[in-house]
Amino acid sequence: MSKTHSPNNLLWRLLRKHVSAGQLLGFSVASLIGLVIVLLALQFYSDVKPMLSSDDSFMRRDYIILTKTVSGFGALLGSNADFSDDELDDLSKQPWVRKVGQFTTPQYRIYGSLTFGNRALRTYLFYESVPDEFIDELPDRWGFDPAEGKVPVIVSRDYLSLYNFGFAATRNMPQVSEGMIGMIPVQLTLSGNGRSETVEGRIVGFSNRLNTIIVPEQFMQWSNERFGSDEKRQPSRLIVEVSSPGDKAISEYTKAHGYEIAGDKADSGKASYMLRILTGIIATIGGIISLLAFFVLILSISLLMQRNSRKLQDLLMLGYTPAQVSAPYVKMIVATNAVILILGCAATLICRSLYMPTLLSLGSTGGGLLMPIATAVAIMAAITTGSIFSIRRRVSSLWKA
Amino acid sequence: MNIDNIEMNEVLPAVFAAQGAPGSEIWCRNVAFERGHSYLVSAQSGTGKSSLCSYMYGYRSDYSGRISFSGIDIATLGISQWCELRCRHLAYLPQEMRLFPELSAIENVELKNRLTGHRNRSEIEQMFERLGIQDKINQPVAYLSIGQQQRVAIIRALCQPFDFILLDEPVSHLDESNNHLAAKLVSEEAKRQGAGIIATSVGNNVMITVDKEYKL
Repeated sequence: MSKTHSPNNLLWRLLRKHVSAGQLLGFSVASLIGLVIVLLALQFYSDVKPMLSSDDSFMRRDYIILTKTVSGFGALLGSNADFSDDELDDLSKQPWVRKVGQFTTPQYRIYGSLTFGNRALRTYLFYESVPDEFIDELPDRWGFDPAEGKVPVIVSRDYLSLYNFGFAATRNMPQVSEGMIGMIPVQLTLSGNGRSETVEGRIVGFSNRLNTIIVPEQFMQWSNERFGSDEKRQPSRLIVEVSSPGDKAISEYTKAHGYEIAGDKADSGKASYMLRILTGIIATIGGIISLLAFFVLILSISLLMQRNSRKLQDLLMLGYTPAQVSAPYVKMIVATNAVILILGCAATLICRSLYMPTLLSLGSTGGGLLMPIATAVAIMAAITTGSIFSIRRRVSSLWKA
Repeated sequence: MNIDNIEMNEVLPAVFAAQGAPGSEIWCRNVAFERGHSYLVSAQSGTGKSSLCSYMYGYRSDYSGRISFSGIDIATLGISQWCELRCRHLAYLPQEMRLFPELSAIENVELKNRLTGHRNRSEIEQMFERLGIQDKINQPVAYLSIGQQQRVAIIRALCQPFDFILLDEPVSHLDESNNHLAAKLVSEEAKRQGAGIIATSVGNNVMITVDKEYKL
């Protein structure tokens, strides 16, 4: 006797005819590629993002240092490289500015000597001061008391590297650690205004942010009163805390006013901006591929339904509802898309495991998986819903002869 | 929704709109088919015999006038209502049969019966036997003769409860003895359910006892 068939099996046997494996495979591959591109872009972004928002990261740059552009002739002709009060006023009114700090320069000569062992370094020196709030790592012994005459100094961490790996190595001098250097006294001889005095300086900290030598503001004030002329000097360098590094308005403003942003670190803010744009572009490309894949599927479905339209109509004549008749195709699409979704997520996780060690070594803590996976589910759900809608619509259009 | 009667009021296929249908006892008339009775609509080719069936079965609506089931205008019925009618109240044997050639005879019948759950396997086999095609039960329909296919289609049409059965030239390819067997099976089944029969014919009339004959 004949084996019995469930109606669903019979339906599938009838309707699978003209199902093109090639078209389905084409859609699957295109859809998978699109999905993986979108997912990978989002996952990568979410993994890199912690690096953008942590305070001490190389990508983030809250502070920029502004100077006026010095042209060769301008300097000779004595054009003013100082910021006027009006200019300072205008700058602090910019929406991207949070705080403006002024560098104060000494109005006298400084001669420094650094002795360790029986060797000594002697040189004319230069230092500046900024308001304390702009110093990234404020040391404990910061400040100045004229009675004691001891001056704490912060130098750029770059200087120490320059000494250790450049100077010391080639001149056969000992290399020094950050802790060691604090123990070495620096004799600072200040002269001007008809006087000359020596104070003892000590390097108490290092700065990543300030590419210069910094002394406390109190000391600068005291020493300028004592050794400098009385006239008030306008600042020529400014430190600005900005709300959004990489903001286009910053570069536009500085360009328009002939200011220069010092240090290549100012560019790092742009890195985060570029990363965001790049992620956006790549995700969009992936999205477009997914969209094209979706159209391939819709076309394929419409071709399939057209070829099987007579059968579909005959089934409706027997009393099958459009939903029952659509069911085999709906199941086929749902199953295919579920497989694509799973493969897409798996491929993304595999790629992530390849790049993640590099990111971890760069200090990323890794982002969540939820957002990219939720996006993948949303994309595939949208494609599936669209396809089901298309199938239903075509079956319903067959209702009347 | 039970169909106690099928009424046709001034119905005319759209293609006849220009010339009308002179001489027809159906088109442009008021006709009522009652449940429990048998009707024969005899026609010549091209008088709209298949159109009549397709209007009543709800898959064409290119007509003017009004067709109603128990007083309800069928133009107002939705898809789900038609599906319900086709499974429970209105059986139909199309002239072109509309079997699926790649499926076997029994699978074609199962495709309908699984939808309605009306018959068990042995009842179906009995019907194959009564119509003399029990040896074709597992044959793909593509390999059956038109006469054999006609009998498979009749069995399929009987695999549901119905208030009316529409038979569009049911026996056009059957010899007299098979015509008799098929007519007997359909009549018995209609009688058992208290259903009405509307059969059409262009010549080879199904051998049922008709209460009224209409000329289309």
